[in-house]
Amino acid sequence: MDGDPELVGGLVGRCIDAATASAESVERWRRQRRTLDRLPSYLADALLRRIIQRRILLYPSWLEIFQNSAEEIDLKGESSVDVEWLAYLGAFRHLRRLNLANCRAVNNSAIWYLSGMNNLKELDLSRCSKITDAGIKHVLAIQNLEKLHVSETGLTSNGVVLLSSLQNLNLLDLGGISITDEALCSLQVLTNLEYLDLWGSKISNRGVPVLEMFPKLSFLNIAWTEVTELPYLPSITCLNMSNCTICSIFYGKGSTSAPLLKLFGLGATFVDADKVFSIIDTSHVTYLDVSSSSICNLHFLVKMDMIEHLDVSFCGITDDSVEYIAKAGKGLKFLNASNSKLTSQGICVLAGNVINLETLYLSNTSVDDVALSYIALMPSLRIVDLSRTKIKGFAYEKSQDNLEKTFPLSLLQNLSHLESLNLEDTLVEDEALLPLVFLKQLRCLYLKSDLLSDVSLHILSSFSSLEYLGFRNAVLSNSGLLLFVPPKALHTLDLRGCWLLMENVFSSFCKLHPQIDLRHELVGTVPIDENVSAGSTSLHKTYLTSVVRSEGYDGCFVDERIKYSMEDLLGLQLSSLSTPALHGLNMLPKELKRSKMSNHISFL
Amino acid sequence: METGEENTRKEETVKLISAEGFEFVIDKKAAMVSQTIRNMLTSPGGFAETQHGQVTFPEISTPILEKICQYFYWSLEYSSGKETEFHIEPEITLELMMAANYLHT
Repeated sequence: MDGDPELVGGLVGRCIDAATASAESVERWRRQRRTLDRLPSYLADALLRRIIQRRILLYPSWLEIFQNSAEEIDLKGESSVDVEWLAYLGAFRHLRRLNLANCRAVNNSAIWYLSGMNNLKELDLSRCSKITDAGIKHVLAIQNLEKLHVSETGLTSNGVVLLSSLQNLNLLDLGGISITDEALCSLQVLTNLEYLDLWGSKISNRGVPVLEMFPKLSFLNIAWTEVTELPYLPSITCLNMSNCTICSIFYGKGSTSAPLLKLFGLGATFVDADKVFSIIDTSHVTYLDVSSSSICNLHFLVKMDMIEHLDVSFCGITDDSVEYIAKAGKGLKFLNASNSKLTSQGICVLAGNVINLETLYLSNTSVDDVALSYIALMPSLRIVDLSRTKIKGFAYEKSQDNLEKTFPLSLLQNLSHLESLNLEDTLVEDEALLPLVFLKQLRCLYLKSDLLSDVSLHILSSFSSLEYLGFRNAVLSNSGLLLFVPPKALHTLDLRGCWLLMENVFSSFCKLHPQIDLRHELVGTVPIDENVSAGSTSLHKTYLTSVVRSEGYDGCFVDERIKYSMEDLLGLQLSSLSTPALHGLNMLPKELKRSKMSNHISFL
Repeated sequence: METGEENTRKEETVKLISAEGFEFVIDKKAAMVSQTIRNMLTSPGGFAETQHGQVTFPEISTPILEKICQYFYWSLEYSSGKETEFHIEPEITLELMMAANYLHT
């Protein structure tokens, strides 16, 4: 489905569905061309978008019927888009936005057709690697162009210099192009620029002072460059210096026209963090991401009263830094402290100070059950990630010479807004999950542990609002799954790595509960591991999907478990051998082996 | 089709007139599925349509208006829980889409 809410449902939405049901349906209404010219542009755009999404545009010549009505076309990632397509698109008189990102077949001669498109305001040619300096000349003819993306194309400094004639540009994305300081200097005539992306370029400290010539510049990305010192740029509100070595930001302070709101320093090396932050006016910063950077104390937070989003994951921060988060914490809504050195003591300091915190990531820290009582004191929490921590879900309390077993997960029931809870790879066992049934408003629950069994799944039946349930690597039996009464709202059940399940049980389950999208290695559609695909570049994503696709349908997945009885299998699980499941791997191409291997290992 | 003889039921029905002059008398409740018609019939005083309970659509042809009326009734059934498909022939999708868009349906 596409994203226009007003077109989903209703008769208009149904008409679009019917019109794009198949290539044949398109052919049938296409014969009455006259009707398209009267079509409002947003309907024409929605119709064309759907035809492209469903891949039923059999011939580029079909585009012709849209040429008087379409205003926005998104062809991102369509590998079939080539010279012929562009020849038709060039005649679209009213086109304002054209997205050709990732269209690999688009080359210099294809974009020749764009040169006459005087209404075009936005053009995205990102990652069209065949476009070079020779091709960019065709773009120069579009004098009204306001937004241009040419990141990761074949452009060089020589081509970028030419762009200075596009006087109306307010957005220029030059990411991944190795432009020099001199080329950047030639762009200073583009005084309307508000957004400039220069990541991965060759610009240096020598070139950056020219940025002062852009009076409206509010977004600047100079990640992955040699820049270590950035002069004061009064209009910047969003700055990205990820993976740079940062000596100073905004030296030589002048008058402020716009306060800095967002700062990205992922993977950056701060020569002296305290000094860097002492120069910047951080009092308005709402968004700070310094994950994987060299920062190990958060003293600079003292001045950041407005902070809402703080990412300090993969930094070496310890409990000592938590007091600064706590002090700045009133407005904090998002905190990612995963993969840090935080412990439960640190969470204790936070409790009571972060009353507006909605999202808390503590994955892969040494946090244990003690922290649960403090987390329960953060009333606004909606998303909590405690995966790969030392949470067990039970504790022993001394009462009158007796050791009494308590279940601290029950404390989470104080969190009336909690929607998503991640307890993957913790030591939580079946009985510890029982108190979670009071979390009536929970929508997503992620569990992944071989300590869980049929019992837990049945406990989870009572979560009335649960929509997504991850129940991975558990000792779940066929009968356990069939007896499971899924909560009404459940639409996804992730059972990957539940190795006891047999193929036939899935079809029975799907028949009983057709509304549920079941995920398992033995179910036809093999899911992508969200943790891997999230946040990676689109290139990486394409690669992933292709791997997954071939994995799902190659037919090499041999279910070795059929040979064994249940007792044998339980025995196998405890022993460390994994050879039988690796059988058949030799037939696979190299790049598949790794993912396949890891699948099998998690499987056993 | 039908004419305005049923004065007794006039309150509950509306008359929709196509470009060719064909009249469709349908329940007011069904016609209200369209946001545009709803506005016309309920806005205080403004439209002549409000008084006469009849709306003319010079842009909508008879077969399309017929289909629209069928949709109104189907939509009422659908929202009361009856799960059937509303079939649309590919040939009329564009005409119908434009009419539906105008009627905010």
